[in-house]
Amino acid sequence: MSNLAPSYAAPKPRPGAPGTERRRLRAVSAQALRRARPRPIYAVITVATLMLIVVAQLLLSIMVSQGAYQISTVESTSKDLQRSYQAVSEDLDRVASPQNLAANAEALGMVINSTPVYLRLSDGAVLGSPSAAAADAGTVTAGAGNLVPNSLLAGVPLVTAPKVSPATTPQTPAESDPASASAAVGSPAPVPLDGALPAPTTH
Amino acid sequence: MVAILTILAVVGVFAVKLVDIQIVQAAELDKQSTAARAVPSAVFGTRGDILDTNGVTLAGTVMRYDVAVSPYDASQDDPAAYAKDVVKIGTATGLGGPAVQKIISDALAENPKSLYASIIKSVDVTTLIALEKLNIQWLYYQRHDARTYPDGAVAGNIVGFVGSDGQAQAGVELGWNNCLAGQNGEETYQRGADGTPIPGSTSTIKPAKDGGTIRLTLDADLQYFAQQKLTEAVRSLGATYGAVTIEEVKTGKLRTVAEYPSVDPNNVSATAPESRGSHAFTSPFEPGSTFKAVTASSLIDAGLADPLTQVISPYRFRSGNGADLTDDSYHEDERLTLTGVLVRSSNTAISKLGTRMSDADRYAYMQKFGLGEKTAVGFPGESAGILNPYQKWDDQTKYATTFGQGLSITSIQLASIYQTLGNGGVRVPVQLVEGCTQKDGTVTQQPKPKETRVVSAKAAQETVNMLEAVVTKGENAKAEAIPGYRIAAKTGTAQQADGNGGYKSSYFVSVTGVAPAEDPQYVVSVNIANPITIRESPAAIPLFKTIMLQVLKKYRIKPATTQPPDYPPYY
Repeated sequence: MSNLAPSYAAPKPRPGAPGTERRRLRAVSAQALRRARPRPIYAVITVATLMLIVVAQLLLSIMVSQGAYQISTVESTSKDLQRSYQAVSEDLDRVASPQNLAANAEALGMVINSTPVYLRLSDGAVLGSPSAAAADAGTVTAGAGNLVPNSLLAGVPLVTAPKVSPATTPQTPAESDPASASAAVGSPAPVPLDGALPAPTTH
Repeated sequence: MVAILTILAVVGVFAVKLVDIQIVQAAELDKQSTAARAVPSAVFGTRGDILDTNGVTLAGTVMRYDVAVSPYDASQDDPAAYAKDVVKIGTATGLGGPAVQKIISDALAENPKSLYASIIKSVDVTTLIALEKLNIQWLYYQRHDARTYPDGAVAGNIVGFVGSDGQAQAGVELGWNNCLAGQNGEETYQRGADGTPIPGSTSTIKPAKDGGTIRLTLDADLQYFAQQKLTEAVRSLGATYGAVTIEEVKTGKLRTVAEYPSVDPNNVSATAPESRGSHAFTSPFEPGSTFKAVTASSLIDAGLADPLTQVISPYRFRSGNGADLTDDSYHEDERLTLTGVLVRSSNTAISKLGTRMSDADRYAYMQKFGLGEKTAVGFPGESAGILNPYQKWDDQTKYATTFGQGLSITSIQLASIYQTLGNGGVRVPVQLVEGCTQKDGTVTQQPKPKETRVVSAKAAQETVNMLEAVVTKGENAKAEAIPGYRIAAKTGTAQQADGNGGYKSSYFVSVTGVAPAEDPQYVVSVNIANPITIRESPAAIPLFKTIMLQVLKKYRIKPATTQPPDYPPYY
């Protein structure tokens, strides 16, 4: 408020007032008084600026702490995602193990062809004598089952194992019935493939 | 005046205190105030993975969680809700409600104010998520890293394992721990009343460092195949141990070190303590007849023999200085070439030819083949084998060393010998680890192969061709041959020292060979200890053939288009 101080200073002798005029007291005219009164606009500007600064500072600090909460949320989302990534990749690594692949190949009826044949790309020559593998040509595990232990595979079913039917999956009865019914209608079961892949016979 | 002085004095006191707090004690006070609000938190440095040559994970680090409860807080809960929660925890952890109930009530019985009771250790993320969904206030989780081996016992003997405390115990885990181990760091942050970190308050006291990734030269698929077939063979033979080694001839890289028994690193305690390591690296054995290839190639290299050198092979040979040795079954004197000596696997004849060379020279050749010296791999606990200096050889040893008795080597050293012969006489150091890749991409610990010439290219090629004659003209020709391919191999039925100066009644049977003989690419070495149903070398032949066939298929090796030189075994 110090800048307003001069306004309170005693009014100086009016310039141009005749010195010879006899000194006598008289009331200050209302107009002069109005002119000398402190101008409220300065106070308003000052107070408003201060308010503005306070509000801005508040907003800023709210934004910063909001950012902290956002970071916290995003970090926890990222942690969740990392976890589910880990859960699925652990699962994938486990089912991708050679023990599991061999067991599944065998379950699907795949056998080893013990007469390798090569096609030489440069001249199209066939190296070796091509012959189909016999159904009893043997598998990697040769019926002996998996002999290379992997305790992670305990409880992992083969692809040929019968799927758990939807009715036995834990669901509330209220929603399981219409859901499974509509799913059955919406997507017909894939056509089972019998025997070899359908391919044209060529010579 | 007095007033001014008083004011000055008071201001002076304040000034001194200000300087004291702001400057003199600043660091101390700052530390105190931070410590009052700061929360230290560990930053985990993850242990690096172990991969096979194609990047398949053989060992990885996963997050596991220890689950604990605060029994006191649980007992303060609404009894009905508490009973329900206990059942839910039991279901989610798989322990069952009563077990969880027992843990909590036991803890309360011991101390009614108990704030900690462990429910289950090391649950996986799926279980953790299920538990977190229950939203139980008195349930706590503590994260820690754990090791997982997705392929189980595939290369388990080589990969090794870590203990429950995370410390490396065996195999590559132990030997390359300085690359794999991560370093945990520490940071602190200050947190507000609601637990949210105050922005900008995090300060790292010690940065965490993740471990590097080790890539092996092994191929997980081939390794699995070999382990499966080896286990089948060892069991059907009633043997106690078996090893299959596959080494790349041009590079010395091991593609398979299969052993039976082999540990499943996920479940170490299921394997007997003596079978948790890699005997292929750590336990040497007397190789027997597969070693005759060393003697033959040394003789050719020194110009003392060629594939057609003639020798009479008696059943029994006495040196006159004490040595007395025989072939494994009785036969009349045979007129053999050096090729025939290998085909007939005659101990007496190789003794007669081998001692054409001085003991010192023969010893020098053996050293050049890598005997009595650890391989470049540097596997934990690796054995150098036993090769006594020739000055200490008695007369029997002098002759026995020509056919692989009286000295011992590891399976890896045996494969390395055939690698040398297949690679034109140049020995490439055995390699198991491709290198250690740090998080920033720098690769360290890459072996620098230093090749050494052991025998001349001609001597090596002629030896391989003689070994081919073993496959085509030997007594096991039918069993060993793979139609369309040229295979060079040698069988061995070695006696094993019983530790008391004599030999055991059981044998170490082996087949080691290279293919294709015209340009060798792979060494396959099969060794089986103490077979019962078939006691001699034919026991290992079917397995050798199965493995070799798989190698030829896997690496797309084309059938031969050339014929082997025809070395007659007899004259």
